[in-house]
Amino acid sequence: MKPSSVSFRALVVGLAFLLPNILGFLTFTLAPLFVSLAMAFTNWDLRLHNMFNGGEIKFVGLANFQRLLTLPDFWQYFGNTLFLMLGIPFSIAASLLTALLLSHQPKSPRRQAIPIILAGTGLSAGCGLLVAAGTAGSAFSLLIAGLFTLMFLGGASVGTGFYRTIYYLPNFTAGVATFLLWKKMYDPQTGPVNAAIQPALDRISALVTSAPSHSGTTLSWLMAGMSAVILFVGMRLVAARHAFDRTDYRPHRHQAAKRSVWRAGFVLAIAAGVFLLSRETPGFFAAAGGLKTPNWLTDYHWAKPALMIMGFWASIGSNNMLLYLAALGNVPKELQEAASIDGAGPLQRFVSITWPQLAPVTFFIIIMSVISGLQGGFEMARTMTQGGPGGATTTLSYFVFSEGFTTGRLGYASAIAWTLFAFVFAVTLLNWKFGNRAANE
Amino acid sequence: MNKSKRPLTRKIRIFLQTFGYHVLSALLGVSLLLPFVWMVLTSLKSLTEVDAPGWFPATPRWSNYLEVFSQIPYARFYANSLVVAGWVTLLQVTTSALAAFSFSRLRWPGRDRIFVAYLATMMLPGLVMMVPNYQVMIRIGLVDSLAGLILPAAFSAFGTFLLRQFMLSIPTSLDEAAEIDGASKWRLFWDIILPLTRPGLITLTVFTFIGNYNSFFWPIVMLRSIDNYTLPVGMLYFDSVSGTTTHLLMAAATMSVLPMIFIFFLVQKTLVSGIQEGAVKG
Repeated sequence: MKPSSVSFRALVVGLAFLLPNILGFLTFTLAPLFVSLAMAFTNWDLRLHNMFNGGEIKFVGLANFQRLLTLPDFWQYFGNTLFLMLGIPFSIAASLLTALLLSHQPKSPRRQAIPIILAGTGLSAGCGLLVAAGTAGSAFSLLIAGLFTLMFLGGASVGTGFYRTIYYLPNFTAGVATFLLWKKMYDPQTGPVNAAIQPALDRISALVTSAPSHSGTTLSWLMAGMSAVILFVGMRLVAARHAFDRTDYRPHRHQAAKRSVWRAGFVLAIAAGVFLLSRETPGFFAAAGGLKTPNWLTDYHWAKPALMIMGFWASIGSNNMLLYLAALGNVPKELQEAASIDGAGPLQRFVSITWPQLAPVTFFIIIMSVISGLQGGFEMARTMTQGGPGGATTTLSYFVFSEGFTTGRLGYASAIAWTLFAFVFAVTLLNWKFGNRAANE
Repeated sequence: MNKSKRPLTRKIRIFLQTFGYHVLSALLGVSLLLPFVWMVLTSLKSLTEVDAPGWFPATPRWSNYLEVFSQIPYARFYANSLVVAGWVTLLQVTTSALAAFSFSRLRWPGRDRIFVAYLATMMLPGLVMMVPNYQVMIRIGLVDSLAGLILPAAFSAFGTFLLRQFMLSIPTSLDEAAEIDGASKWRLFWDIILPLTRPGLITLTVFTFIGNYNSFFWPIVMLRSIDNYTLPVGMLYFDSVSGTTTHLLMAAATMSVLPMIFIFFLVQKTLVSGIQEGAVKG
């Protein structure tokens, strides 16, 4: 066969395998992509251009984008999106901690399994008995003790895989059902969240307001002094440890002086903060009539934190945890052992060995989380708050939904979607530029 | 440092470490599962107990679960969700596997350029395409139909990418051996590559299925009549009409979460390694 007919044949075979996929790609991705880009520059509005009211669709240039960037809604919703994304570092940290916990299963001999199980059962049975005998003997505490026993037994007999499975469930099942579950849990009157917080808040405010008022200032002085001393001693200890670790390194004298000035300033600032806080809080509590539980989803300021708490719950045992687990398994054991022989503590081993080894995974996780965070928030907000109260939980994706499918301003909605894409693109570029460097160092 | 000095203290130390590890892990497990426990307990309450404090019903009312079916066409929602998720999964995994094979094992002019186009669109928010796609659906009359949910999801750039990663890790010497034996490309795909891609296929299958079972944005845009609702849209509808019958809503939520938990326990081992491998190589 001639070479050209060989490559033609290869092309035909290759395309034949690709055909069903590329049909979908062209119809539902590539074509809409260009249409959408074109739409972003038109005034296409379903209320003006429909079968009854055949107005002409016109190109309006950058008018949609101009409108977008000058109206306050867009910036509010963009701010909401960024605010909700503040939960990302916490989620990633929690995933890492969970993975660290899971990867640290001690290598205990097989025959220790039974004593471990017995000890765990004993512990929870003891707790259960104590609770049942005490005044707070509620069914709830027994429930916790029972659940704990179950977890413990499962983990001790099956192994790490059991915990991993349990942790992964909130993430795997996340959807409208779990959002509705949390919506009901956040209910200010009947939900379990406030029911759990209220007693604790009552106790705190009772404690604070019951402090004799005349001694308030003295007490504040005491607290400020104590916090200063504790901070100072703590910092000395850390510094001493540091110096011990690096025997070859001595800071220059004026460098050391500069550092102590900074330290003193830091301690003073914290102490002053403690003083003011402890002096003002009782009066504030008294004025507000004690600490009140928030109304969560219906409160303008608490709606976003409420969504973030739920998101946190759903993201601890996520894919990120699995990725970290896999990466932790790949950290060379020799490095750890060598450092341990050199006298490095667990924290130091983590900082100087494990964490740098995890950098590529962390980088990947951060990029993915930021990208999905920028586009996210619609499902939660639509199910739990409908974007409210007062637009407090409307994210950019929700904005596209309401403009494109509720109001019907298609041109405008496309402009929002493309602006969103511009953010995603910019973030990805920045991440690649700076993240790659950080990951490789 | 003096590890092997006294075996007894060492044993006790390991015992305590193991014990502490299990206590910590179990506590985290308990706190993550609590919302689910509340959901199930609430689903067994009676209407008067819903507003009362306390987690437990006086007597568990399993009949709540049956009552859900009489309140809303819940079985219908279930069936719709399973049909949509099932078809999408079948189509998407098939088209992705075929395309991934073409992108990873076959050589043809222009292949890499097309693949780069696929990759580039993966970064685009799905939202960008939804507005025009919805207009297309209106034109071809698929709004408010299950087919309108299935068709656009029948292919995915991500699925293609994922399976390609898995196929790239299969040694090319297999292809050469098959060629020498005179096997066609289809035989190579079906008998050799596909079986070796199993973990990737399972991962993609489960994620596609769960993703579409939970899918919310596109269905809520597309669906109008209650009979066509999928579970997520149906649950939202139930929430808007159920008023204070939280116990029934929680029963419905429990029933919609259960299949996912079941699937998860079934495949979790393969799934976990699939996720870890797919991303580490990616």
